[in-house]
This record gives sequence, C-alpha cells and structure tokens, in this order.
Amino acid sequence: MYSLVALGFVLIFKASGVFNFAQGAMVLFAALTFVSLEEHGLPRWGALLATLAIMLGLALVIERVVLRPLVNQPAISLLMATIGLTFCLEGLAQGVWGSVVKGLDLGIPDVPFDVKGILISQFDLFAAAIAGFLVTVLALFFQYTRVGRALRAVADDHQAALSLGIPLQTVWAVVWAAAGAVALVAGLLWGSRLGVQFALSVITLKALPVLILGGFTSIAGAIVGGLLVGASEKLAEVYLGPVLGGGIENWFPYVLALLFLLVRPEGLFGEKHIDRV
Amino acid sequence: MGQRRPRIGEVLLDVSDVSLSFGGVKALHRVSFQAREREVCAIIGPNGAGKSSLLNIVNGVYQPSAGTISFGGVQRRSMSPREAALGGIARTFQNIALFKGMSVLDNIMTGRDAKMHSSLLAQALYWGPAQREEIEHRRHVEKLIDFLQIEHVRKTPVGRLPYGLQKRVELARALAAEPRLLLLDEPMAGMNVEEKQDMCRFILDVNDEFGTTILLIEHDMAVVMDLADRVVVLDYGRKIADGTPEEVRQNPEVIAAYLGVPTEADREALAQGAS
Repeated sequence: MYSLVALGFVLIFKASGVFNFAQGAMVLFAALTFVSLEEHGLPRWGALLATLAIMLGLALVIERVVLRPLVNQPAISLLMATIGLTFCLEGLAQGVWGSVVKGLDLGIPDVPFDVKGILISQFDLFAAAIAGFLVTVLALFFQYTRVGRALRAVADDHQAALSLGIPLQTVWAVVWAAAGAVALVAGLLWGSRLGVQFALSVITLKALPVLILGGFTSIAGAIVGGLLVGASEKLAEVYLGPVLGGGIENWFPYVLALLFLLVRPEGLFGEKHIDRV
Repeated sequence: MGQRRPRIGEVLLDVSDVSLSFGGVKALHRVSFQAREREVCAIIGPNGAGKSSLLNIVNGVYQPSAGTISFGGVQRRSMSPREAALGGIARTFQNIALFKGMSVLDNIMTGRDAKMHSSLLAQALYWGPAQREEIEHRRHVEKLIDFLQIEHVRKTPVGRLPYGLQKRVELARALAAEPRLLLLDEPMAGMNVEEKQDMCRFILDVNDEFGTTILLIEHDMAVVMDLADRVVVLDYGRKIADGTPEEVRQNPEVIAAYLGVPTEADREALAQGAS
C-alpha cells in the first residue's frame, strides 16, 4: 500500500531528477475527483476514465505552467515548485469537491483468510497485485521504449538531452501523466481503506521513509521499502507498543528511516555515488 | 592535409557579426567566420577568449545579443538547441555530458531520438512500426559502435568507463544523429598521448567517411595543426586571425596573444634595468 505511493515519487524522481512533493496531493486530488464524479451520477468506469483524463490534463498543465519556466534550473527550485504545487492541488481539490470525508467502496471483498493461523487481508493482496502489475509495466516501458530512454536521458542531464533534440516538454508531460495515473490508483486503494479525506495527502508522507529504505531511484526499492515500512510499523505497535505506549505506528517508520540513513544512506537498492576526487 | 582540400564545398555555417554579453561582460564582440562543407575548422584562443560561448551560440544554447547565424543557407537570429539538433547540428561537451547511469548502447541510441517518430502508444505496445523503427536504428548504432571500436563496452554503464572511452562514446552519440555539422568542445582535453592520437584518427575518419563538417575547440596546438583545414583565433572575445594553420602560426597577433607582448611599462622597466 505504501509502495504504491512511493512508486509515484520514484517515477518522477527517476525521470526528472525532481523529488515531487506534490505526489501526495495528487493522490488526494485523484481520489476526491473520482468519488465526487461518481456521486454526481457517473457510472464507475465513466468516473475512472474521466478522472484519468483529468489527471492527464493536470499533468499537461503542470508541465506548461510550473516546469517549463524552470528548465535548466537547479533541482532545489523544482522541489520548491512542487511544494507550492502541493498546496495548490490540496486547495483546489477541496475547493471544488468539498472537504467532507467520503466513503469509497470499490467492491473488492475484504474478508481476511487464514493461512496456518496468519490472517491475510484479501484487499491487501489485491493492492499488492496491482502494485506489482504497475511496476512491471512501468519498468518495461522505461527500459525498452524510446520515450523511456529519453526519460532517463533527461533525468541525467537536461543540457545534453536538449542538444540531442530530445523534446524536454513532451518527456516531462509523459512523466507527470504517468505519475498522475499511479496517483489515481493509489488514491482509489487508499481511499477505499480510509475514506477519501484530507489525511490521504498526509499519509503519503510515509512514502518518505519508504524511499529512504528502498532507495530513491529504484522501483524495486519502492516496493520492498513499502513492505518493510508497513510490516515494521505494525510489528512495532504490537511488540513495542505496550512498553513505550501506543501510537508507535505513526512515528516508527521515521525512526527506522533515520537509523537507515546512518547505516546505508543510499537505501537498499539506490545508486551508490562514487565521487572522483 | 593539402590533399583533402579539393573536397571542401560550399559555405555551410556562416556566423556574421555575432556579439554576446553576460550582464556587463562582453564574451564575444562582432565575431564573423565561415565553415565550409566537409571542412575541419578549429577555434583556438587563450582561456576565456569566448570559444565555448561561440560554440554554444551555434548550437542554440545561447542567443547572440547581436549578429546572425546562417546554417545550410537558412539565416536566423536565434534558435533553440532542439531546433539546432533537428537541423543537423550535433555536439559534444567540454565536460563530458553523457547519461551516466545508462549503457553505452542506450546513450548512443538517444542520439538518434530526433530521427525516430513512432507514437507513444505504438512504443508502449512495442507494436509493428515502432519495433521496426527500433531495430533499424539499432543497426545504425551498431555500425557506429564498430566504427569507433567500442564493441567491448556497449552494455556497460558509461559512468564506469575510463575518461578516454567516455569521450569516444560522447562522439558516437553525437554522430548517431548523422549531423551535417559536428561541434566538438575540447575533444581531447585530459587525454594521454595515445588517446589523443586515437581521437585524432577518429575525427579525421568521421570527416572522410561521412563528409561531416567539424568545428572544434582544442588547446593542443600540435593536434590543431594536424587536424584543421582552417583555424580561427579568438582573444578577449574578438577574432584576431583566420586562415590555414601555417598562416595562423606566423601571424604576429596570434603569437602575441599566446606568448604576451611587452607593453610600454614593460619596456620602461627593461630600459631602467639595463641602465
């Protein structure tokens, strides 16, 4: 579940070298849009397609308004821009659709089943399957298509990519569109778990420890990191909870991430930086 | 080099009266020169003379504050690097600008990006035309890899290659676009003698085999004299000489720029020291 959100981060980070702070807001935006469209009487598939279209449109707008003026600017400016974008999106989503908590039922049964005494949630399995599917598709896309190659090129060096005639704008639009689509999926799954509400955008902050554990540039890392964070916070709650008092779940992943930074700053699967002196 | 001269054709690149300033600093002042088809033209000059700026203007990274550039008979005041690339201008960078995490093969394939046209959807499905296109371009890239003798490293991530090989990969990436004009910004900087000789040979081969016009910046005078059909000398943003290597070598202003001339004060000091 956490992996899905982290995936969106990794995607944009890999492709544009920018840490997209607005990913969480995009998740919220997507989920809210979907639910509200459905409330307005659109059939489920209609709402899904419409939301997808809106997310793609949003990606184009972001590219044009936010990113295009920032070509060749240092990554920190882009990061700041995405932070700004977060607030805009959150405001926009709630301004348009209202801030009432909305329920979302995807119709996926959530009956836990019992494997030798361990309860496994069907819903979580479903989410995992979706995450796995998305990852496979994206990985193949990045590795083997021309656009994927162009994406990696742009991430590495704007200037060189431009000199080869790679259209930076198109590439960025594609990345943000993909991130928007991932955000939609994440928003639906999380939304049906917790209800569609403002907190969704905060929960996505948990993606940070996921990324630190898994490495910022690795899609596989996002998945493993997501599992680690999810499992460790639950285990900590059960085993450490009684000793330290409850509510460990909320901060444990961050502590874990801090410890991890001390030991292995590039994450489990991240690229190691070797500087030539 | 005399025997290659007859191959040289029409003017391909015509830079006329180009000036460039950054704030108050004049990087270039009314520089004009021409490069003809199939010519190897070298730009030399002391550090800070404006050589890289000139290259950056030709390839659209900088927009000149005055003057015009015409390439292949089309004159324009300014263009974007992408337009330049699509028009047939490729380049390498002074500090290698390869995509470090990607393999040699992928790096060179990006050089052909501008030549590939299949739609996003077709690529995503790896369907018919997209597949054919990919294979066809891959074939061309393999030829280049053979040509530059980097077969043994084609799957290696570029970041792991030694410096000299990286420079060669960067040349391959630029060539992948089949450019009419190739800009090389210090292709031999930081190389040892052997690597320099290899690079020289590759540059001449490229020029011979593909008929590519080459505009290069280089510091090593021996290399320049060997390679270039024509040499343009810049100093403090002005062009001080332009001609064959022999002519330029004997030009007093060039010698002065490189070795320094005694100023009035120097002469007085000398005279006083003598008395």
